[in-house]
Amino acid sequence: MTQAIRKTAPEPLAPVPFNIPQAFETTLDSGLKIILFEDKRLPLVSYRLAFLSGDIHDPADSVGMTSAMASMLTEGTLNYSSHELAEKIERLGASLSANSSDDFTVVAGSALSFYRTEVLQLIAEIVFRPTFPESELDLYRRNTIENLKFQRSQPGFLASEQTAKLIYGNHPYSRVSPSASDIEKLDREKLRAFHANALSPNNAILIAIGDLDREEFLKQVHDEFGRWERRESEAPVFGNPPQRSSRTLTIVDRPGSAQSNIVLANAAIDRRHPDYFAVLVMNQILGAGASSRVFMNLREEKGYTYGAYTRIDAKRLAGDFEATAEVRTGVTGESLKEFFYELNRIRTEKATEDELADAKNFLTGVFPIRAETQEGLTSLIVNQQLYSLPDDYLQTYRDKVNAVTLDGVLEVANKYVQPDSIAIVIVGDAEEVLPQARDYSSEVTIYDTDGALMDPVKYEKNDNEATADASGRWTVSLDFQGQSLPVTLVLEQSGETITGSLETMLGNGQIDTGRVSGSKLKANTNMDIQGQSVEFSIAGTIDGDTMSGEINAPALIPTPLTFAGAREG
Amino acid sequence: MAETFKLAPLEIEQYTLANGLRVVLNRDMAIPVVALAVYYDVGSRNEREGRTGFAHLFEHMMFQGSENVPKAGHFQHIMKAGGTMNGTTSSERTNYFETLPANQLPLGLWLESDRMRSLAVTQENLDNQREAVKEEKRLRYDNQPYGQIFDLINEMIYKNFANSHSTIGSMEHLDEASVEDVQEFFRIYYAPNNAVLVLSGAFETETAKQLVETYFGDIPSQPLPPELDVSEPQEVANTYREWEDKLAPFPAFLIGWKIPKRRSREFYALYLAGKLLYDGESSRLYQKLVKGAESVIQLFGFTDERRGPSSIFVGAIPKPEKDLSEIRNVIMREIENLANQGPTPEEMQKLQNQLINDAVRTRQSSMSRAQQIAEFTLYDGDPNLINQELEDLLAITPDHIRENVKRYLNTENRALLDVVPAGKG
Repeated sequence: MTQAIRKTAPEPLAPVPFNIPQAFETTLDSGLKIILFEDKRLPLVSYRLAFLSGDIHDPADSVGMTSAMASMLTEGTLNYSSHELAEKIERLGASLSANSSDDFTVVAGSALSFYRTEVLQLIAEIVFRPTFPESELDLYRRNTIENLKFQRSQPGFLASEQTAKLIYGNHPYSRVSPSASDIEKLDREKLRAFHANALSPNNAILIAIGDLDREEFLKQVHDEFGRWERRESEAPVFGNPPQRSSRTLTIVDRPGSAQSNIVLANAAIDRRHPDYFAVLVMNQILGAGASSRVFMNLREEKGYTYGAYTRIDAKRLAGDFEATAEVRTGVTGESLKEFFYELNRIRTEKATEDELADAKNFLTGVFPIRAETQEGLTSLIVNQQLYSLPDDYLQTYRDKVNAVTLDGVLEVANKYVQPDSIAIVIVGDAEEVLPQARDYSSEVTIYDTDGALMDPVKYEKNDNEATADASGRWTVSLDFQGQSLPVTLVLEQSGETITGSLETMLGNGQIDTGRVSGSKLKANTNMDIQGQSVEFSIAGTIDGDTMSGEINAPALIPTPLTFAGAREG
Repeated sequence: MAETFKLAPLEIEQYTLANGLRVVLNRDMAIPVVALAVYYDVGSRNEREGRTGFAHLFEHMMFQGSENVPKAGHFQHIMKAGGTMNGTTSSERTNYFETLPANQLPLGLWLESDRMRSLAVTQENLDNQREAVKEEKRLRYDNQPYGQIFDLINEMIYKNFANSHSTIGSMEHLDEASVEDVQEFFRIYYAPNNAVLVLSGAFETETAKQLVETYFGDIPSQPLPPELDVSEPQEVANTYREWEDKLAPFPAFLIGWKIPKRRSREFYALYLAGKLLYDGESSRLYQKLVKGAESVIQLFGFTDERRGPSSIFVGAIPKPEKDLSEIRNVIMREIENLANQGPTPEEMQKLQNQLINDAVRTRQSSMSRAQQIAEFTLYDGDPNLINQELEDLLAITPDHIRENVKRYLNTENRALLDVVPAGKG
């Protein structure tokens, strides 16, 4: 009897309703909007004082000002030095921070409800009475500049830097990070003046969630924030992101990179767009998670990558659609092929009823899990407020998801997935990537990791060169610290693709990816050396029956080793 | 406040099936979600020489399908039901968990029981997952700056093979593993009497018990796995190693000490000492190094909590041109100060508030409760310890901290790993 029960997935039990009650709302004369959500489940409180201005509102000559100001709020006030403030907060077992993003600046505090009044007091302290001490600002400048250097070694950052420029053009969303010279220009007087004008109540929302008492809370708000004066300012107007008319290929060269970091991007919707829910569902089907088309194709079926996804970034004023993956360098071309296959298919074929139902089930089912913790609930409420979403947004979210149709999905796929004018951004080995990717666009731009423009001709292979024959058994000598080590390459070739193995005294390895372009051979393999798996990359030039080149094993040896040898037989 | 604060106890019911599966129910009707956690008493510590990496390989294999669930089916079922899931392997245990809408409890139990009972251990699955594990090792360890430092220092700190080898294991051993080896591993360790099942969240107790019996009741028990020895020699050794890391942009160092096991008074005292040293911006080392001397880019520290001998680490990435040994001197002087003077009253107040805050926060999520309860059940045989542990931590006094820092965090018995960038540039 038990066996029969096991054969198929069981039916669910009766559904249990879950509803987020409406929060209490009021607005002060100064324009400060107050949201209060009482939740006495546990003795915790969370506060957010959120401002509808962010990094994109930096003055044109002071890029990085908003994020510097946010970071500096906790580095010294009228009543507390940076150290004293850290001590005071941490002694309560509480947390307090301020951060900026493109569109918003948020001051966040949370604590056991026993300390609810202290934490709200400290929020007021850092917002109204920061002093921007010179020594702290100096430390901030130096640390930020170090971090910027570190960032440029991260392929993900380099990809997003190029993507933002291509999608947003002159719009301030195009700037993902300030430069070192922007940071050096920050000075205390400018920061103080900026702060004096930047944070006004008519541009702010104060959200309080948890074990609070309404009357007590409102009284404290009046005491701490009652004298805050409104300040009218003109909301700046930015131009629209550029219209793209053709596909482009942008490569950031990281020589020797074992992986290509691929981003395909085009402009899409802002957060309040009426198509939002249809786009959400479409994205779920196409590439949000391990059951999605893109993931199942590039990872599960083809094994090109650890993860391939699509995402929708819907900011306050504009947004984009992106398809991303980090793939083995040798399969960059094949990965692009599969991405474009999926991006076209979602536009030309209606999704199946099952795909639609699964996507909706996930988006609606996961909703209560997101709201389980106070942090989760706070995020949901903060987002609803900051993006000025309808008052009943959280209460009607699941209904809106369920209302999306197959026709709706097809329609938004055609509007917002634009393979013919998409921006292809690849961070990887340009010499390897260019021949694999150039079929997808004739508009090619190449940068180095510092952002300097490079001449694509440098990376061209000689197309007239015939593909060399690399097949066979090659005996080569490897020059290792003055000694000559024998190495054997056993290669099979099909067109430009190479398979086979590498044999050495230390161990053997199967070729993972191998390619011949003209007379150049490139191949990668993994070998076990004393229990560690070590990646080897081979770069050789074939001349008839002789071959010479370099073998690189960065985890083992800091510099490449030269080799030379000949084909047997 | 610590004196008056009382954390409301969690509702816990514990029982054991006929086949030895330990079951714990923590009912909480606040939000209509339910978390399942299955903890198997097998971790890298159970691996023998020549067979490292098996426990972690298993974690991968468990998602490859079982008799009634197709390959990748586990993940797809959970996603379709609107849930989240994952699994992890450590030295101590392998765990599998999911959070689902409350009405999907049967689905979770079906999936977990089917793979406990009939995981598909085939050559094809084994070959597939070997490759996946290699990709993961490349991504997380080999291609990351500083990716290997924790494995390296564990080899220096622990003398017993069970404790010292890395969880990701050796590719050679995995390559050598046959399907029979892997099936045997499954039979021995993935048995109901070697596991704990915890349900936390919204359910009716009788319904839950019936479902657990239906799905898990007929899974046969197995002989218990062999006894494990994780004892360590008493050593008075100061070990040092220099490691060249091609991907590291800056030099770094890591200091580690071996300390007594979890839940001992010594462990708790040292855990708290660690918090005072490196946790948060008011911590001693943050103020001395990130602020005062402004000499480090990053400071980090943590305790590795195990059932046997455990460890505590402190490390830093200095700024370019800063003297590593001077930074280390600052760290050792601060530790000495803590060993001689002990913590201040303000520091004790901070610890108490942070401990209460942490205890309250981790109770919010059904998954976090399920995992903590599973640990107490598997390691200590007592799920009710979740209602006890805060008190045990609050009972640690300044003298306990001072004595244990003096005894354990010295220079005679520590491992020091220096990371030297070996890149081209």
